[in-house]
Amino acid sequence: MVKLEARNIVKYFQHDDYKLKALGGVNLKIQEGDFVCIVGPSGCGKSTFLRIAAGLEKPEEGDILFDDRPVTNTGPERIMVFQEGALFPWLKVIDNVEFGLKIAGIPSDERSQISQRYLDMMQLTRFANSYTYQLSTGMKQRVAIARALVLDPDVLLMDEPFAALDVQTRELLLVELQIVWQKTKKTIVFVTHNVAEAVVLGTKVVVFTNRPAVVKKEVSIDFPRPRLVEDQKLVPQQQEILAELKPEVKKRMESE
Amino acid sequence: MSKHLTAKKIIFYVAILAVWQAVADANFWPNEIFPSPWEVMQDLGYGAADGSLFYGIGTSMLRLIVGLAIAIAGGITLGIFMARMETVNQTIGSLVLGLQSIPSIAWVPLALIWFGVSDAGIIFVTAIGAIFAVTINTYTGVKNIDPHYIEAAQNMGAKGSQLITLVLMPAAFPYLISGFKQGWAFAWRGVIGAEILFSFLGLGFLLNVGRQTIDVSQVIAVMVVIMGIGILVDGLVFKRLENKVMSRWGLR
Ligand SMILES: Nc1ncnc2c1ncn2[C@@H]1O[C@H](COP(=O)(O)OP(=O)(O)O)[C@@H](O)[C@H]1O
Ligand SMILES: [Mg+2]
Repeated sequence: MVKLEARNIVKYFQHDDYKLKALGGVNLKIQEGDFVCIVGPSGCGKSTFLRIAAGLEKPEEGDILFDDRPVTNTGPERIMVFQEGALFPWLKVIDNVEFGLKIAGIPSDERSQISQRYLDMMQLTRFANSYTYQLSTGMKQRVAIARALVLDPDVLLMDEPFAALDVQTRELLLVELQIVWQKTKKTIVFVTHNVAEAVVLGTKVVVFTNRPAVVKKEVSIDFPRPRLVEDQKLVPQQQEILAELKPEVKKRMESE
Repeated sequence: MSKHLTAKKIIFYVAILAVWQAVADANFWPNEIFPSPWEVMQDLGYGAADGSLFYGIGTSMLRLIVGLAIAIAGGITLGIFMARMETVNQTIGSLVLGLQSIPSIAWVPLALIWFGVSDAGIIFVTAIGAIFAVTINTYTGVKNIDPHYIEAAQNMGAKGSQLITLVLMPAAFPYLISGFKQGWAFAWRGVIGAEILFSFLGLGFLLNVGRQTIDVSQVIAVMVVIMGIGILVDGLVFKRLENKVMSRWGLR
């Protein structure tokens, strides 16, 4: 079943003296339970696409359909995980995780039951009462993921959530995210500029062209999980994707 | 505070008192015009003994608290609307900047006409003197919120009053505190100034009485009290609030 469908999405941004075309007609079908990784040169419109799917931006043309209905606004069934986590520094970890539940009016004992489950899943139980500044970047991303999962969204929209992590932490989280995905059966759209990361995570990797972005290539990846970055069998797919991506990155460099 | 610093301060204030006493003893001016610290202290004692001082403090503080509460509630509301609605900012926002430049004392004539010699009039002057500082700080604070916080909250379903109380206000809180602090400073000056001009109870009124009876030591005694309350509120209320927020946010 198609969970999210992008139909010819065109998006402009008004700059002072010109209109910048970020998305040039993106078409993409994402099946329920898919783990789709989007790669593309920086500034090509990956975040913009994700933000449109979240309902944070509106496209000039085209529609994103969620369960066959056009997305017009944000909704807790499509939760965005930002690169920096966007955790609330005025709240403890546990209150960050319970935020969406509180908004939904869920009573506090039920809230703590739910948050407990996801704090456990993301190995955060020890940090439940910490403030976010006391956490490492990796821990913050765990909190951000837990905060999204408690709302039991259909779709997780993740915008380069691991970009700021050191190598070890990233590898750990790459495995954990695969396990979370297997446990929760969420549909995930994951933006990254890191091809190795995309190939490890995705059931499908989508390559965006340079700006204005359109879908250049979709590559299915099916290997057993959890996959690791150093898995040799992933190398051919990695090469295939890189071959598509490199000319786009080159165009991007030349356009500067 | 380090012992060293405390010692420095004590020495400084003792020195001031000593110089003051010496100048008073030198009798350059008659005692009624330049009293000694001891006389001022005695005056404080009389005021405390007959209760007039405490009554004055209580009256002024009550007006201050009511006025500041109005200023904080109104200022936060106004500031949030200015920050979140461009039209409000372009219209009311420009007026706020203008009104902020009016010294609170300049509202006294209007307050006297509108409210007469009453608590309401003094509270009006106090509140209006403080509200725009609160407004501007709230506005700046909300404008400076990382937009990702707001987007994340909206994504999780927050809107309307929940967005305001659970996200905008806590996210802007470091700025709100500066607003409260500035607001309090304006309110305190406003309430004393208004009381002097209204001449209707409170510490400002006691200053006025001191002037009318040419009782300089009373005037100075009341001024010392006004300063003392200022230092106390700054140190006890705002420093603590600030420290708490700063450490919670990991800003220090
Ligand atoms: N709010 C905005 N206003 C103006 N330009 C924007 C805005 N958001 C993104 N852009 C521009 O749109 C293009 C695509 O941005 P983005 O989607 O963030 O790229 P990516 O995530 O692929 O690096 C970039 O050139 C960026 O500068
Ligand atoms: Mg991006």
